[in-house]
Amino acid sequence: MIEVHQLTKRYGDKTAVDGLTFTVEPGTVTGFLGPNGAGKSTTMRLITGLDSPTAGHARVNGKRYADFAAPLREVGVLLEARAVHAGRSAHHHLRALAHTHGIPRSRVDEVIGMVGLREVARQRAGKFSLGMGQRLGIAVALLADPATVLLDEPVNGLDPEGVLWVRRLLTSLAAEGRTVLLSSHLMSEMAQTAEHLVIIGRGRLLADTTVDRFVREAGLGTVKVVSPGAALLAELLRGPGVEITGEGHGTLQVAGADAELIGTTAARHGIPVYELTPHAASLEDAFMELTRESVEYPAAAQGVAV
Amino acid sequence: MSAVGADCRITPFRVVRAEWSKLWTLRSTWYALGGCVVLTAVVGVVIAVSAGDGPRGPSDPVELSLFGLNFAQLVLPILGVLVTAGEYSTGMIRASMTAVPRRLPVLWSKAAVFGAVVFGTVLVTAFGVFGLAQLFLSGTALAASYGDPGVLRALFGSAAVLALLGVLGLALGALTRGVPAGIGAFVVLLTVLPQLAGTLPYEWVDTVVRCTPLPAGQGLMAALPQPDSLSPLTGLATLTAWTAAALGAAGLLLKRRDV
Repeated sequence: MIEVHQLTKRYGDKTAVDGLTFTVEPGTVTGFLGPNGAGKSTTMRLITGLDSPTAGHARVNGKRYADFAAPLREVGVLLEARAVHAGRSAHHHLRALAHTHGIPRSRVDEVIGMVGLREVARQRAGKFSLGMGQRLGIAVALLADPATVLLDEPVNGLDPEGVLWVRRLLTSLAAEGRTVLLSSHLMSEMAQTAEHLVIIGRGRLLADTTVDRFVREAGLGTVKVVSPGAALLAELLRGPGVEITGEGHGTLQVAGADAELIGTTAARHGIPVYELTPHAASLEDAFMELTRESVEYPAAAQGVAV
Repeated sequence: MSAVGADCRITPFRVVRAEWSKLWTLRSTWYALGGCVVLTAVVGVVIAVSAGDGPRGPSDPVELSLFGLNFAQLVLPILGVLVTAGEYSTGMIRASMTAVPRRLPVLWSKAAVFGAVVFGTVLVTAFGVFGLAQLFLSGTALAASYGDPGVLRALFGSAAVLALLGVLGLALGALTRGVPAGIGAFVVLLTVLPQLAGTLPYEWVDTVVRCTPLPAGQGLMAALPQPDSLSPLTGLATLTAWTAAALGAAGLLLKRRDV
């Protein structure tokens, strides 16, 4: 379990993280989402003690990271920024980190195999592609078989096969009862992997929710219906899993029933329908809507002349 | 799944073990140490062979045979800068500090491992090259043996001076957190500034310059008394103080600054 309480970090007059409070529970994958520059990486650096907070605190299983006797055993972390000496091989990089905790060589070989770097383990890490670097970073995070895993943008630079592998890995880690925090600036990535969502923008908490609830509240799969018999139609459509709003003006917003079902129902009861419009807001749209105010470097709204 | 190990607490020995492994798994270590050994040997033999030609060069038997260590005095502190600053320039420091979040054990272990490696390498080199050079110096005024007064002290002293200078470079690398800045700091503070100051016509400036790290060790590296240098013991104490101060400052900042 990770507890972040009123966490604040200022660099000079810039506030990177601003009074952030949230909890990450074990046994599920929690997505840590926000636009670039929202403070995700800073929060991860604060949790692992690389930076010290200006105010507030971050604890893992009730302890400050630096107070663990065997920190790699408690928390495995993949930071977004590169954390490997370019002149050292993947094998020696892992060996050196393993030595600090007395982790045997067999475990080093094992994690190298797990992330699929066996063929290149003796090459200098400076020659690695972005994807290979990410795999090495994940091997470091898993090295001591930790109870908590923090991964900052783990799928960056991975090929589709690698992305799938990371998703399965995270899901299985959570299924084993571990605490998994995964950051990304891509909502679609989260929807595939995470159950719980912590969304931040400009260092502040925007939402602490589940993917399911977020999808529901985002108005996904709603259908706009305009009909003179709206009230009757609403009565007929109502049922488990169906939510209907906006009655009374001849217009309905129906969630949980698709246009086909609504149209068929209306036809069967002879109710005229003037408009039947599926509203296809994506998760991405909902996320953009939520974080619009807090995007660090918004692109110009107007199109660029080509 | 293979076992991670029941007891995986961080211990001082384990951190030292990790730093030992880090040092030897970079090519720069092998190049720098190997280069120093080879160059010291070559220079020592060349000087010894040509020493009979005239009264040029150092008149101290140990200083003469180990003349090549002048090169090591520059190279080994630069290697020291790489040991610490190289972790910042590559990002490795983030991995090191998440593995050992108390931070200071990493710095102390780096200093201990690097100091010991330099001491051992220079000691073996000094004994070997002194003996080698003496093969060419028998019968000259510079003939000496290991048993002569001051010789053993100068050989051990050379190793100690290089080790302390190396750790000083390591501390400067940790303070500056950048390879160019660390090397620049070493060159400017230890060689350029004292040399510039030495041109000033004031007696007290000469005294101050003599107490800066590079000149401080000179008396310790020679078998015979050096009139222009601090005495061996004072020199050792002075150089140790410089290195300890730089390492202490590096430790203080490492603990305080964000990584």
